[in-house]
Amino acid sequence: MTSILIQNGRVVDPYNNLDEISDILVIDGMIAKVTPEIADESDQVIDATGLVVAPGLVDLQVHFREPGREDRETIETGSRAALKGGVTTAVAMPNSTPTADNQAVIEFILKRAAETGLINILPTGAITSGQSGSMLSEMSEIKQAGGVAVTDDGNDVQNPAILRRAMEYAKTHDMLIMSHCETDSLTDGGVMHEGWVSTQLGLPATPAISEDLAVAKNIMLAELTGARLHLLHNSTAGAVAAIKSAKARGATNITAEVSVQHFALSDEQCLGYNTDAKMYPPLRSADHVAAIVVAIKDGTIDALTTDHAPHIEPDKLLPFEHAAMGSVGLEISFAVMYSYLVEPGHISLSEGIALMSHKPAAIIRSNRGTLSEGAPADISIFDIKKTWTVDPMLLESKGKNCVFKQMKLTGKAKHVLVGGELQMQDERILR
Amino acid sequence: MGDAIEKSLRDIRGKRDVSFFDLYSIDQVSDTDLGLIFEIARGFRSAKTAKLTLCKGNTQVNCFFEPSTRTQASFDLSAKHLGMDTTNVGGGSSSAKKGESFIDTVETLDAYNARTLVIRSSEAGVAEIAARHVAASVLNAGDGWHEHPTQGLLDALTMLDCIQADTLAGKTVLIVGDVVHSRVFGSLVRVLIRLQATIRIAAPITLLPAEVEQFGVTLFTDVEKALVGTDFVYTLRVQEERGAKGFIPTLREYSKTFGISEWRLDLAAKDAILMHPGPVIRDIDVHSALVSRHPQSRILTQVENGMAIRKALLWLLCERFDGKTKTFERI
Repeated sequence: MTSILIQNGRVVDPYNNLDEISDILVIDGMIAKVTPEIADESDQVIDATGLVVAPGLVDLQVHFREPGREDRETIETGSRAALKGGVTTAVAMPNSTPTADNQAVIEFILKRAAETGLINILPTGAITSGQSGSMLSEMSEIKQAGGVAVTDDGNDVQNPAILRRAMEYAKTHDMLIMSHCETDSLTDGGVMHEGWVSTQLGLPATPAISEDLAVAKNIMLAELTGARLHLLHNSTAGAVAAIKSAKARGATNITAEVSVQHFALSDEQCLGYNTDAKMYPPLRSADHVAAIVVAIKDGTIDALTTDHAPHIEPDKLLPFEHAAMGSVGLEISFAVMYSYLVEPGHISLSEGIALMSHKPAAIIRSNRGTLSEGAPADISIFDIKKTWTVDPMLLESKGKNCVFKQMKLTGKAKHVLVGGELQMQDERILR
Repeated sequence: MGDAIEKSLRDIRGKRDVSFFDLYSIDQVSDTDLGLIFEIARGFRSAKTAKLTLCKGNTQVNCFFEPSTRTQASFDLSAKHLGMDTTNVGGGSSSAKKGESFIDTVETLDAYNARTLVIRSSEAGVAEIAARHVAASVLNAGDGWHEHPTQGLLDALTMLDCIQADTLAGKTVLIVGDVVHSRVFGSLVRVLIRLQATIRIAAPITLLPAEVEQFGVTLFTDVEKALVGTDFVYTLRVQEERGAKGFIPTLREYSKTFGISEWRLDLAAKDAILMHPGPVIRDIDVHSALVSRHPQSRILTQVENGMAIRKALLWLLCERFDGKTKTFERI
């Protein structure tokens, strides 16, 4: 029997409606007890005085690039990045090489995750073979192998008839569909949000309606079929309005996330042709950012994610139009949430943690993301008084492409336990 | 004779310098810079093709990642008239085709100790980014749909000379055509704002960029209404492929609805000036009779002013009196 006692921290466990100074006793990888002043008889004691003790964060959208592009990221470097950010469970997108559109790739990712053994990695499969938007993938086998959802992330199934069949088939096997919402013909080579900034920069741009129409299409098909649908990285006022009205109609099979950059930053980050600010969905104009914040406040949004997308330097050192899309985020997502949502008073710390722990866990039907007694001891301990400047060179991720580079953020993970094992102590990963 | 011309140019310039080291956007050019550039350009225009030595000993690399004939010839001849050595890279022979990053390409060219690097690219922002990484002064010869600053300057000079004034205050400029795909527009609108012109745009809505009115322009979908009272009519080229991509049905219909004919030009103010950045597609953008010979056309004057503007910039960038040097960072 091994035991760890976390003493005197501010325990914020939104699932159990808890926000108070308390102790947590971990025995054999499980949370044994959460109560103030537990007697110190443990193998190890962590002093959490002045710190926030939260459930390990759950991120529904990361790109670990393994197999295939291990020059950009591996399951190990991605896991280390996650630990730095207090993320203990990451859902891996299937756009690896080869694509995770079959059980063999899912099994490979799970094997590599187990060998690495730093965090929980849950793979997803593709909706369609090769994410090509045409033939359905073998969703039952993907699920049996351990895939928690299917998604053609980065691509949206353009043909509504195929998407309808995919939803019907996913429902047959009680599989979650995650949709990246984009209408290719409206994006039409656009590389940033269409608006005043794109006009000043003279860049081909993608209009918000490209996302709005796709969100509407996905919602209507999910309402028709009854399939479980999770909408990835929403970024427009139109998207969140459509989600809000679907939920108001009683569509309980639909959930939605926002990636942290989309409530924090606007398309003005692209000025000067800053390729770190190039991503899809693109950073939107301030009016969309404001609408996203409102949707987070009013409960339309169920989860905050990173869409962690590491790239090698040469892929960003290109003309903006040709540069790779995406930003790394695992090491900063808590700090971005805290700095842009909690500090300005939009939501409480507990609400922010809920959006990054038990709420996303529930979407993939995982029992993680809580500090309930008997739950796996995934615990992240944050210093919410620590202000720091993002230096990409200090990131654990192989991708140094961070849109928050040189920005000042508040809040940093200090200690992290995964399955009861202390993996990071005093911001240092132990192995 | 060259000595006398150089002396007169030096008299015009005095010890004045421009505030920038690279030119990738009109936004970098201060009001004082504008006046200085125009004064010197007028001097160069009078000098015609005289072989001068103002920039002797300096090298220029014309780096045209996107092919160009007119702009490249204008920059090249301008440099040669000032005594510079020039060479051309780009197009089919460029290293970009072999997978080299454009930043590595321009850093290599910079290592030839070129004094000026003229860059044309089919993507926006290439000159601006290149400028951060080289010691040479970068001149943007057109980047994607963004800007073409020497074109904007030559257009402004052409307009000012038509009215013998220092600003365009009280004057109305109508820009007609494909605005969204036009780097010429990007620089023109910025320089016109600086010169206090009233700016109108007439185009099918499909050819307008998002929120273009934020520049402070008035939009028209009826070119004939837009022409009324206009002092300058600036037509932009509409490319054949825009039809294929669904921006307009046909060039034929575009010509009927937005093409500038003699009859339409008469709707503008008396003696209104007609301009076009070239290449003109006769009878589509502008009716053939208006292009070169019509008394109101300044299309060839624009070309001549282009050389003068480029010479002024090259001299201002090659020879500085303020002792300031450019900062840059290698990657």
